[in-house]
Amino acid sequence: MAEYTPLVMPPSAREFSRKASIVGLGESDYQADYRAQRKPPEGYEPPTTEGLATLAFERALADSGLTRGDIDGLTGSFTYGGPPPAELASLLGVKPRWNISNGNIMAGPLPVVCAAIAEGKADCVAMIYAVNSRTAGRVFGGATHSGSNDPGEGYGTPPSYYYYHPWGWSSQAAHWAMIFAHYSMKYGVREEDLGAVSQQVRNHASRNPNAVMQTPFTIEEYMASRYIVRPLHLLDICLVNDGAVCLIVRRADMARDMAKVPVDVTGWGEAKIKSSKLDVMVRQQLRPQLEEAGGQAFAMAGMSQADIGHFEGYDAGSIHLINQIEGYGFARQGEGVAFCQAGEMDLTGRLPSNTEGGNLSGSYMHGWSQVAETVRQLRGEAGTRQVAGLQYAMTSLAQTDQAHPILYARGEK
Amino acid sequence: MAEKRPPRTLGPGHDQFWEWCSKSELRLQKCASCGGINWPVRQTCEFCGHAEFAWEAMSGRGKVVSWCSFHQDYYGGVMPRPYDCILVELDEGVLFLSNPQGFAIEDITLGMDVAVQFMACEDGGGSFKLPVFARV
Repeated sequence: MAEYTPLVMPPSAREFSRKASIVGLGESDYQADYRAQRKPPEGYEPPTTEGLATLAFERALADSGLTRGDIDGLTGSFTYGGPPPAELASLLGVKPRWNISNGNIMAGPLPVVCAAIAEGKADCVAMIYAVNSRTAGRVFGGATHSGSNDPGEGYGTPPSYYYYHPWGWSSQAAHWAMIFAHYSMKYGVREEDLGAVSQQVRNHASRNPNAVMQTPFTIEEYMASRYIVRPLHLLDICLVNDGAVCLIVRRADMARDMAKVPVDVTGWGEAKIKSSKLDVMVRQQLRPQLEEAGGQAFAMAGMSQADIGHFEGYDAGSIHLINQIEGYGFARQGEGVAFCQAGEMDLTGRLPSNTEGGNLSGSYMHGWSQVAETVRQLRGEAGTRQVAGLQYAMTSLAQTDQAHPILYARGEK
Repeated sequence: MAEKRPPRTLGPGHDQFWEWCSKSELRLQKCASCGGINWPVRQTCEFCGHAEFAWEAMSGRGKVVSWCSFHQDYYGGVMPRPYDCILVELDEGVLFLSNPQGFAIEDITLGMDVAVQFMACEDGGGSFKLPVFARV
């Protein structure tokens, strides 16, 4: 957590709605990179943040039909370190008039860019995200997680990541496990019911050649997969992999005559837990934050839940995807798992969700690959997993302590 | 025989909490200004920012809110697996993360009554008494 750069969220203001459009998209080869790392070929060199970033940028630029000279804004977002702004510009060979370090996970970077474009700081911004968590051997729990409520080393790390070591409690997975064990007792939802969520996301991933995990599984296979932190199985927990995403975002009025259908950013929201994290997380299932942030985004966009035809939630844990679907009002409290079991998150359901395979099976780009899939779906480029007749979509980054929804519309060409 | 455990957070405030535990007393910080009970230990009140606390005795009674069981080894083999954790709502309203004592996760129902006990443990900082919870 200490690596996280503070980022100031622009308000969910109507004047920022539909002022910027995503016109270019590039991603790295998640699947090929993951396989190479698991079974390194001779002479294998692990990917670097810089190499991944450059690849995603080149692909996004080609996708947009623009040239380097059109790029007058640049932002870099790196979860575990990356080149500072001037170095990034030099690496990519661009000369931006606006160039900032822009947080890391998808908790604000896109709204920051949309607001900057609306305010005239730049007309066409390349947003770079890159992470090499797997190469860096990143672990997500254990006694090395330390923190403090006092300024100094580890300051700002939520106590739930380090304070309960003497009771053996650690890791992100344990947070999701506590959330689901409570949910399970409260609503009578069993492990084998929850399995439908990871199964649905994996079925989507089987239609995505770039998804890290593509082989469908049965509920029996899900139940037989080892526990990480019971009641959650291996298949309930997200991947750790390396990769990069580049989004090219242009002033909306300059995005109407482009190579690809523009994707307009119509609204966003933000809500964080201020205190009593365990209570809000476990007993309230983050619902107050999801409702508040979702309400902000829908009001800003002039849209409602009924408009949304495709949803990309933050499925770092399977149950957390369900928390978001309930919290934003797509399913009633305690009915999200049944919503999934009924096929409502499938391509022909009421809310096709995480159609690229999410964080569980697709790629763990801390919310950025969810935005990438949204762009593909709204353009109509999602191939065999395309949602038919799609006009509006929603992404959500939600962690155990914050919610960041963003709304999008298929733009007019 | 003291059980080996992963490390406590020690230092100002934290040390007092463990000192009370060593006397088999569960005491948490009560803000001298707003009266809010703070847990985990803080230097300033989570609710109002005030910096003075009294160490308030808890009833030691509570209800189980949730549970989980660790199969993954996060602590280099310090604790034999699988082992269980529970989340307890103390009568005073605080959520307290702990371990079940003398019962299994299969026995747990939402809201089940539990009471605190103290278990002899040790970590790199020495021996200490760990608050855990048994069925009432």
